[in-house]
Amino acid sequence: MANKQSLFKGLKDTIPLAFKIVYLSNPVLYIGISASVFAIFWAFFNIFDQLLFFSPILYFYIPDDAQIGFVITTMSAALLGIVVSMNVYVIRNAKIRLDKSLLSGSVLGIASSACASCSSIGFLIISTFGGAGIIATGFLTNYQIPLRLLSVGVLVWALYVVNNRSTKSCMVNQ
Amino acid sequence: MNRKYNNKNTLCALKKRINHKHCSLLPIVSPVFLMMVLTLNFGFFVNYQNTPLYVFAQTKETASNSSSSAPDNQLALSNLIKQGSPYYGKESAPITIIDFSDLQCPMCKRHVDNTEPQINSTYVQTGKVAYVFKHLPNRGFDSMPAALAAQCMNDQGKFWAFHSILYKNQGPIDSGWANSENLKKFALQVPGMDINQFNSCFEGKKYQGLVKSDVSLANSLGFTETPSFIIVNSDGSNPQKIEGPKPFPIFKTTIEKLGQ
Repeated sequence: MANKQSLFKGLKDTIPLAFKIVYLSNPVLYIGISASVFAIFWAFFNIFDQLLFFSPILYFYIPDDAQIGFVITTMSAALLGIVVSMNVYVIRNAKIRLDKSLLSGSVLGIASSACASCSSIGFLIISTFGGAGIIATGFLTNYQIPLRLLSVGVLVWALYVVNNRSTKSCMVNQ
Repeated sequence: MNRKYNNKNTLCALKKRINHKHCSLLPIVSPVFLMMVLTLNFGFFVNYQNTPLYVFAQTKETASNSSSSAPDNQLALSNLIKQGSPYYGKESAPITIIDFSDLQCPMCKRHVDNTEPQINSTYVQTGKVAYVFKHLPNRGFDSMPAALAAQCMNDQGKFWAFHSILYKNQGPIDSGWANSENLKKFALQVPGMDINQFNSCFEGKKYQGLVKSDVSLANSLGFTETPSFIIVNSDGSNPQKIEGPKPFPIFKTTIEKLGQ
């Protein structure tokens, strides 16, 4: 119990510090990376979810059935923006070496977010894999919301790892 | 347990990183780049929509049973009605919307709930458009029985009532909501239908050929997802393609472009 409390207390300090370190070190670069990654993935997710259209007219709408999915994918895109820019910071900072858990968290987060959005390309999967494709696409469609929540969870974990990595060298025990 | 942060160390780390600009960004850049490529590719497919279908229609053979070999005639309203496709609206409507849908598909439900009522009130009720349904049961194993049942209901003039009941009760794909037993139960909910006639038609798979020819037509037109639409003049000319549950303004733009 005491360990948990200290963990949360630690996170309460670590997360704002990690944000300060990264975003204040070079605001234009890291806010730019975050904004760009967010915009790209937000557009990507919403195109796949059939909410954003560019042709024949530019149009965006959120029907009732897509509201929850939209909130989750927007969260995923925002988390991806933060995680990617923090990873870039960590990679550029030679004092702090990149480790596998950090990279795998980010890549898994990106992959799971993208995968959770790919149910609308189900026909492609069905036509490629036949009966197995029908089962796979049915699974992706039926469990779209839990899969997206899982991807948000993975991204939160990636954020936690990258926060730790970016602040670890700054911590001293008193 | 008390931890504090040495800001001097942080600043030192920040300064030192300037000396290491050449660190590889590949692990981060590559997934982002991959996603950008995917997005751009998808953008290509999106932009490919709403293009005239002459190329498709002229190069690919349609598998419908109709004797006419002219692809445009396949899409003429009179031929669609002759083939037994369910429709609503006036036969004299100058424009036809042909809807290729799967009764199990959630995106088709989105179209039925959001866009179709607006098309109906704006164009069908005013006599400008006739709306035709074609089967494209490709999302699950229960999709074909659902299509067969719906087509059997069309025999009794109850297709649209059944269509509405199925979309209102739609559940997860292949979860059993559209199995044969439930389809019969849904059929019973339609007032004034003859259950014996329905059972005979459904169990005998009377319309399997028609549904398969709808699927072949969809494939020959290059449709890869449900719902997909072709908007044509009533004689089948000038076909415009729309794929996916596009919102009403996109239908409006396409219909008005066709009407010019």
